[in-house]
Amino acid sequence: MDDADLDAQAMLRVAAGDRRAFAWLFDRYHASVARFALRFVGNRERAEELTQDIFVKLYRNARAYQPTARFKTFLFRVATNHCLNEVRRGEYRAPHAPDADDTEGREMEGPRGDRPDAALEGRELERAVSEALAGMSARERAAFTMCRFEGMAYRDIADALEASESAVKSLIHRATLAVARRIEALQAGTVPARSRA
Amino acid sequence: MSCDDVDDLTAYVDGELPPARDAQVRAHLRACAACRATEALLRDTVARLAELPAFEPSPATRRAVLAKLDALPMSWPERMRTWLRPAVLWPSAGLVAVLAVSLLMPRPGPDAPLALEDASVMELAANLELAEDYELLGLDSMADLEVVADLHELEVVQ
Ligand SMILES: [Zn+2]
Repeated sequence: MDDADLDAQAMLRVAAGDRRAFAWLFDRYHASVARFALRFVGNRERAEELTQDIFVKLYRNARAYQPTARFKTFLFRVATNHCLNEVRRGEYRAPHAPDADDTEGREMEGPRGDRPDAALEGRELERAVSEALAGMSARERAAFTMCRFEGMAYRDIADALEASESAVKSLIHRATLAVARRIEALQAGTVPARSRA
Repeated sequence: MSCDDVDDLTAYVDGELPPARDAQVRAHLRACAACRATEALLRDTVARLAELPAFEPSPATRRAVLAKLDALPMSWPERMRTWLRPAVLWPSAGLVAVLAVSLLMPRPGPDAPLALEDASVMELAANLELAEDYELLGLDSMADLEVVADLHELEVVQ
């Protein structure tokens, strides 16, 4: 039985009210959902709330799960719907780049020793990505995050977003290009200023 | 492909294009320096993103989520299971008996004692019909359940 089958089996048990199966799925996917939420809202505290809400929703909607669908796609459909609804309701109206505290909490790597001229420092890269994310539409942000940080296929992202694959292709392209331009700009602006002595 | 179809460049970098389209993009890239530059930028960006540090989620979330599940109003299967557990059967037996009897008989016998084996009969009745009502109405409280029982009584009387 492969991982996807194990997930599906666990989810069916959750649908029957099995809390242990739920805890197992939580442990497997908590980091993914939390990362998605953080990239989506750009703020740790809000991401934490969203993550909790998403898992509670997953539990409550467990009986809507069809084992023919990949569990991860189902989970991200719940996550995406929840995040997009929150934005629509205005609660998370102004997604923004992570606060200083947010980025400091993470272990940032320094520049890669093997390519000093090419690399932005980890913190600068993080900033470029966060700023670009903050400038995107909610759907671009969701599609980009699933693609770049969860490694999901376009087809699965389309399922999660309830969009066509061609729409997803455009969302991901615009978002990736926005990040690319931001990295480029930051690199052009800041790297010479911090000439590596 | 023409330079206007830049949408496809990211999908190309991601290996998401169907083979025929992939070949067209590849051919265009050989001939077009501008699109080649965009492709290189996109490839570099995708590679950079993989360098971002892993994100460590808060370990407190698990406890918080499980506590929220405990605080949820019970779903009907959970509720049925709880009622039908012998240790808690008696306190709610009156209500359950009303529900079951109102479904199965035109008039309830006034003081038929509830034996444990009746639980399976009740569960059957519950699963057959009441379950659908709870599901449909999204009921949360004992008061709601009585309303459902009344609805069924009305149906029987008709
Ligand atoms: Zn071109």
